[in-house]
Amino acid sequence: MKREEAFEALSGLDDAWIAEAIRYAPAESARPPERIAHMKKRMITLALAAVLILALSVTAYAAISAMSHRVPDPEETFRVTWEENPSGYIEWSDAKLVVTFPDTAESREIEFRPGWLPEEMASLQTDTWQQRLTAEQLTDNGGPKDTAVPAYSGMVNPLLIDVYATSQFNEGGAMLLLYYTPEEITEEHWDELNVDVLRFHCTQHFDAMPKYNMPERTLQQDILILENAEAGWILCIRGEIGMDQLIRVAKNLEIRETGKVLTYADFEDHYLFMDGGVG
Amino acid sequence: MDDSAIIDLFFERSEQAIDELDKKHGKAVRKTASNLLHDRQDAEECANDAYLAVWNSIPPQRPNPLVVFVCRIVRNLAISRLRRETAQKRGSGLDLVLDELEEFLPSAQNVEADLEAKELVERVNRFLATLPYDDRYFFVRRYFFADAVNDIAAAAGQKESRVSLRLFRLREKLKKTLEKEGLLV
Repeated sequence: MKREEAFEALSGLDDAWIAEAIRYAPAESARPPERIAHMKKRMITLALAAVLILALSVTAYAAISAMSHRVPDPEETFRVTWEENPSGYIEWSDAKLVVTFPDTAESREIEFRPGWLPEEMASLQTDTWQQRLTAEQLTDNGGPKDTAVPAYSGMVNPLLIDVYATSQFNEGGAMLLLYYTPEEITEEHWDELNVDVLRFHCTQHFDAMPKYNMPERTLQQDILILENAEAGWILCIRGEIGMDQLIRVAKNLEIRETGKVLTYADFEDHYLFMDGGVG
Repeated sequence: MDDSAIIDLFFERSEQAIDELDKKHGKAVRKTASNLLHDRQDAEECANDAYLAVWNSIPPQRPNPLVVFVCRIVRNLAISRLRRETAQKRGSGLDLVLDELEEFLPSAQNVEADLEAKELVERVNRFLATLPYDDRYFFVRRYFFADAVNDIAAAAGQKESRVSLRLFRLREKLKKTLEKEGLLV
């Protein structure tokens, strides 16, 4: 079969996938006018809410002066600046969880190295300081065959650790969980790392598709968000190895400041997506 | 106007049906054609041919969803036009898409001779059913609609590099799946 024939054959993709891709793309299909009106109404509502919060008192600020989270209305849309789009923005909806942080003038950049990793991840153990660690190469799901670990067969990413700065999320920016649905959210403070912690298990359910002989299934991952409000850094630790192991990884991280300071202007995007890398 | 009302107009043989179809789904139809043809006039002609084909198909058909029906028609017409003209230039946007497809269909020699297009598309449909929503979106936009990667990234609110990487991984994954199922040898 030639590549042209393969491309032609893909005209036979299932209606459901094509319809889904058309619906998803905001630039493709004309947005219903009622949705625009709905959005305008929502923006007015949000503006009024902001004025109300300011008017209430300074204590309102104190109440939100730590990492906070909320489950947005399914219809709520996040207008994300996106200069490459002709409109200059894109709109996200259907977020399952929104995590916000107090505005921070300057965040102190950090790097880390793992003090403990599960034995299956021995190959990732290193003395090098880093800002992102991923274990996706240990799965058989797109990673190189020679590094796959049988225990992680079928996973998308057993472990992903990355570093963020709270100053990135000033002026309404947020971390969004788009596809997974979170279960009970635990809030803690870990003295040993001086961080506030949000942690939760989340799932993404797929209905059975008898037409494709696909059974019903559920993808799942655990997420920990560690925020040091004083220094303005965030560590996000997530993956499929289970909450207990993720906590152990997190509590054993060695963390140091790089000496660099990050401000809002250092970031192009002010939203981040927690699903990235796992799903 | 909703799709069922547009289809009713086709059943009534009212020419307003085509106007309404164009008004509602014209953007998607033209984008599909221009992604493949890279020529505005060709894309416009192709869209008109697609509307004529819809006119000839409804009735008796009552497609649902209508936009998928017309996009599929315009895609097939654009491919036929490309084949007829054989004017495809190396390095065009479509050529890049075809190069990527070769990654999971490495070469004619590596694919079993009796591979039917139908069988391939069945496997790809099954593969898509296993993907998370965003990955499926990337794949379909790229390999059905032949969208440019930067367009897909902009629509999804993600960086172009991330979408390219996801597409690369999806091709690898599909290739591995097809190998596992004995489709590629």
